[in-house]
Amino acid sequence: MGKALIINYDICNGCYNCQIACKDEHVGNDWTPYAKPQPLTGHFWMKVTDMVRGTVPKVRVTYLHDLCQHCDEAPCIPACTAHAIYKRDDGIVIIDPEKCSGHRNCIDACPYGVIYFNWGLNIAQKCTMCAHLMDAGWKEPRCVDACPTGALKFGEEEDLKDEISKSEILHPEFEAKPRVYYIGLPRSFVAGAVYSPEEDECIQDAAATLADSDTGEEFTVKTDNYGDFWFEDMKLNHSYSLRIEKDEYDPQEIHDIRTAKDVNVGDIKLYRKVKARKS
Amino acid sequence: MVERKQSRRRPKEKGSVLNVAGKTLIRDISFCGVPENGSNASMVDVKDGKIIRIRPMHYDWKYDPKDMNPWKMESRGKIFEPSMKTLLPPYSIAYKNRVYSPARILYPMMRVDFDPNGNRNPQNRGTSKYKRISWDKALDIIVSEMNRIKEKYGPTALLYESDQHGENKVVQACHGAGRRLLRLWGGFTQQNRQPDSWEGWWWGSKHFWGCEPVGQGQQSNLLYDIAKNAELLLFWGCDQETTPWGWQGQLPSRLSYWWTEIGIKQIYVCPDLNYAAAVHADRWIPILPNTDAAMYLAITYHWFKNGTYDKEYLKTHAVGVEKYEAYVMGEEDGVPKTPEWAAPITGVPSRVIKALAEEWASKRTTVVIGNGGPGIRGPYATEAARLQNICLAMQGLGKPGVNQAKMIEWGLFDKPDQYAQPKSLRVPNLRKAYRGGHPDETNHPSFIPKTYIPKAILEGQCDWYGVESETAPRQDQFVHYKYPADGCSKIHMVWTDSPSWITSWNCGNDYIRAMRHPDIEFMFAQHICLENECLLADIILPVNTKLEEDDIAVDIFSGQYNLLFPEHKCIDPLGESYSDYEIVCKLAERLGLLEKYTEGRSVPEWIKYGWETSRCADLISWEEINKKGYYVVPTADNWEDVPAGFYEFYKDPEKHPLSTPTGKLEFEATGLLKHFPDDLERPPVPKWIAKGISHEETIGTERSKKYPLLVCSNHPRWGVHSEHKDMIWLREIETCKLKGPDGYQYHPAWLHPLEAEKRGIKHGDVISIYNDRGTVLAGAYITERIMLGVVYIDHGAKWDPIAVGEIDRGGAINTIVPRNTTSKNAVGHAVSGFLAQVEKTDIEALKRNYPEAFERPFHPCAGPDIEGWIEGGK
Repeated sequence: MGKALIINYDICNGCYNCQIACKDEHVGNDWTPYAKPQPLTGHFWMKVTDMVRGTVPKVRVTYLHDLCQHCDEAPCIPACTAHAIYKRDDGIVIIDPEKCSGHRNCIDACPYGVIYFNWGLNIAQKCTMCAHLMDAGWKEPRCVDACPTGALKFGEEEDLKDEISKSEILHPEFEAKPRVYYIGLPRSFVAGAVYSPEEDECIQDAAATLADSDTGEEFTVKTDNYGDFWFEDMKLNHSYSLRIEKDEYDPQEIHDIRTAKDVNVGDIKLYRKVKARKS
Repeated sequence: MVERKQSRRRPKEKGSVLNVAGKTLIRDISFCGVPENGSNASMVDVKDGKIIRIRPMHYDWKYDPKDMNPWKMESRGKIFEPSMKTLLPPYSIAYKNRVYSPARILYPMMRVDFDPNGNRNPQNRGTSKYKRISWDKALDIIVSEMNRIKEKYGPTALLYESDQHGENKVVQACHGAGRRLLRLWGGFTQQNRQPDSWEGWWWGSKHFWGCEPVGQGQQSNLLYDIAKNAELLLFWGCDQETTPWGWQGQLPSRLSYWWTEIGIKQIYVCPDLNYAAAVHADRWIPILPNTDAAMYLAITYHWFKNGTYDKEYLKTHAVGVEKYEAYVMGEEDGVPKTPEWAAPITGVPSRVIKALAEEWASKRTTVVIGNGGPGIRGPYATEAARLQNICLAMQGLGKPGVNQAKMIEWGLFDKPDQYAQPKSLRVPNLRKAYRGGHPDETNHPSFIPKTYIPKAILEGQCDWYGVESETAPRQDQFVHYKYPADGCSKIHMVWTDSPSWITSWNCGNDYIRAMRHPDIEFMFAQHICLENECLLADIILPVNTKLEEDDIAVDIFSGQYNLLFPEHKCIDPLGESYSDYEIVCKLAERLGLLEKYTEGRSVPEWIKYGWETSRCADLISWEEINKKGYYVVPTADNWEDVPAGFYEFYKDPEKHPLSTPTGKLEFEATGLLKHFPDDLERPPVPKWIAKGISHEETIGTERSKKYPLLVCSNHPRWGVHSEHKDMIWLREIETCKLKGPDGYQYHPAWLHPLEAEKRGIKHGDVISIYNDRGTVLAGAYITERIMLGVVYIDHGAKWDPIAVGEIDRGGAINTIVPRNTTSKNAVGHAVSGFLAQVEKTDIEALKRNYPEAFERPFHPCAGPDIEGWIEGGK
């Protein structure tokens, strides 16, 4: 039980409304005892980052969102020597702005790096899930209210069960039990295009097979009418080899594709098999 | 763990004790409009004279959703419905930043070296600082200058530039509240805004398919038609995740996701991976800026060659096809417009052009446009526009799923055929209460197209065709006009409101030179923030933001529900600021014209009159709308039955002809053939024009040896034209501003990693974008979101002169865009797709050469502010 926030990267258009609405709520407004005013600039309690993926023309953008994960095993809580950080019954983690003594232990302790320091007020600050609004009867924090696409969803954990079951958490290895869930976390894509330089045509329906050199797994897709192929959601930091085949053409292979990031292998030329050539 | 248990509690003070809400007021926070155009209804929470927050308006706050008769699109097993809240853009939510901006003009100011009774020093405009003066003194000088100028030269010596790049206001209107006064005063010269976001359509497409007044295709019910019938969407230079924001919000975003969900393929053709392509594209086809015409030609070549087009349709719906075919196939000029011919021009491989041509011919395809894109505002934009229309025509324009759809301005100019969204029971309209200037107003005999202002002043005379108004019909493009008009004066005084010339029009550096010309004896500006031409004015008057004024508004562009709402001021006006309308009232009073100007109505009376004449007075009483704060107009029953786009013309071209001379699609334009048969820059049959007497802005020309990059410049993501450039929370976003090593936030210019590497440029470096028209500094944003051979920088960044008329620090790219218009006989502006070079800036050398400019203080987070321009720096 308790509150949960779901962030769906698949339908985030990157408008930054969430980042800005958070500032609109907290800069210049004093919500003590929940939070004192955020500085005019430099804090990002809901932080959006553009992640540009791939190379021309196989490029897309995923917008990453970093904010307090409101962990059930929040490392910041025991780290605070002033006992200023507490977890509410609804799961929201709050830094009591009046108790915070500015030691910044929580900032070091938070593995997600989402606690900011307010040098003017000498306190640590972070997302409150707009607890001041929740307690006043609001249904959603400002970031969720401002989201135009439904990429952010907020509510009682049990009401969001279906979505949560399709989602992931950031860094499960931290074992902090976050209350922020993500759908569509970026992995790695491997993409390219196949064409025939002899005919100056894109080659449709060529079979592209990507083999994971680490696990032996194979994935096959067909090229589309632009000769394009995309392998979505490949494992990060794996080695792959790629084979392109179409009946009347000599196959092509590319080895040592490393998914340190998204990969556009570029335009791949296929030549007709000698015996299949017309003249 | 024990500690954690101890701390599992709520704070002692319950939230209900905290007054988190304050009073909630409904406000239209949208931009660039005339009264038909309001949108982005927002809830503004106010407490103790302060704005607490700005948030989406929830339609169901005071109404039951049933009363709104919500529309529902059903297609391919899925449902799409309006949201229960307005889908605001970030500018609306962050608008506190604008209200409390460090660049706010809070009292009247006068240029320190301007002496109306002595030396006026016009040559120092843009350089000299300002000092505070009283309202009385400011008005005394303005009125005495008006009278002096009128007596000496006649009233047409006063040029009134009322731009449309300000807030949406109705009674308190910016955008030309002075026009009515000047008419009463005896006349003036009107700056007529030419159709800046629609250039190619207006100057080109109107000669192909009519579609008055803008030239974009018929839009009625197209959102639904796409959902039902389209198989492929070609977003051609369209960024629905940017351009619609200030005008209407973010329904286009939701819609784009839904179209993907129901299996409609989306292809984006544009030099940049724009913000829509970044999240919606199934394929991005990068194309060199302003070479779209060549691509369309090659596509139609492929169709002619393979017979994959609708010949029967063309027989009954089009004229001049054979002339076009002869040009495309090379019979006219010996050059077949093959995909191989187009490939080096466009940067698109010929195999991709062929694949696209085949896919287009095999699927029901709608072309999606969004104003302000790279393909429609360049040199010779008429050609790309008409050639795109031709592609649609060859595939049976008007057939279900085959149209030109817009992602912006749904319902423009109150035209039913522009209503792409589900039809509303009523479209509320506040034109009668509107006190500003409207794009359809003419001012015979003395007017100048906005693009020709510098030419008129610097050369003392000029002539042109068309732009009697922004909504003038096609035939007006054949009418010859001149400056000075017969019996009228040259310009000697300039009055500007909501100014946005330098950063949004053609060759801003020319405009700056014009305003420093000794002929301009006096110039005054009224605006919210110190920006644009304010820095050239002799006197500057402080204007409120709309949150400081009472008014009335509509929200009609959202695509969700239409709204009507009276607006109550959220806070008291800051400093000594007034609304634009109130400022004109002050002038009217001194000129003895107040009673006539106000027509005897007070502001509250005009507001109520707005409701009376809104077309909704029979649907909601004045008492009720004030009690609830707003009125939601229900969706019309049977909205599904409104014929979509060009459907009626498609079904029966004789019964539903177009407004072209023949009533048909004119592959050879009858009007152009008659009036400009020898125009090589806008020929009767559209062509690829690499260069001409007006422009030499393509790769392969002599100029391209010196300036080898093409500049792509879209409407800005983080602001509407020149507005919002001082908003701190927007400027924190890296695609909005990049902090340079000197602490100044530079406007980002996108470069491909290889172009950057060639020039030794690293991400975040200060770079100079330059050509023979000047230099603009920017922050290098190295990204795969832009193709090779292109530098991308959006327009509207705040002008911050280093050398006035030569070098700009703020990133105002329009200072160096072409000075010449769309083409010889089409006086649109050409602001994207032109040549420049980029190099790393030697900032230390610049500082040595221009110490004063670099010593000018700026706000570290809001950019150039008042402090930099006030004598003594306070």
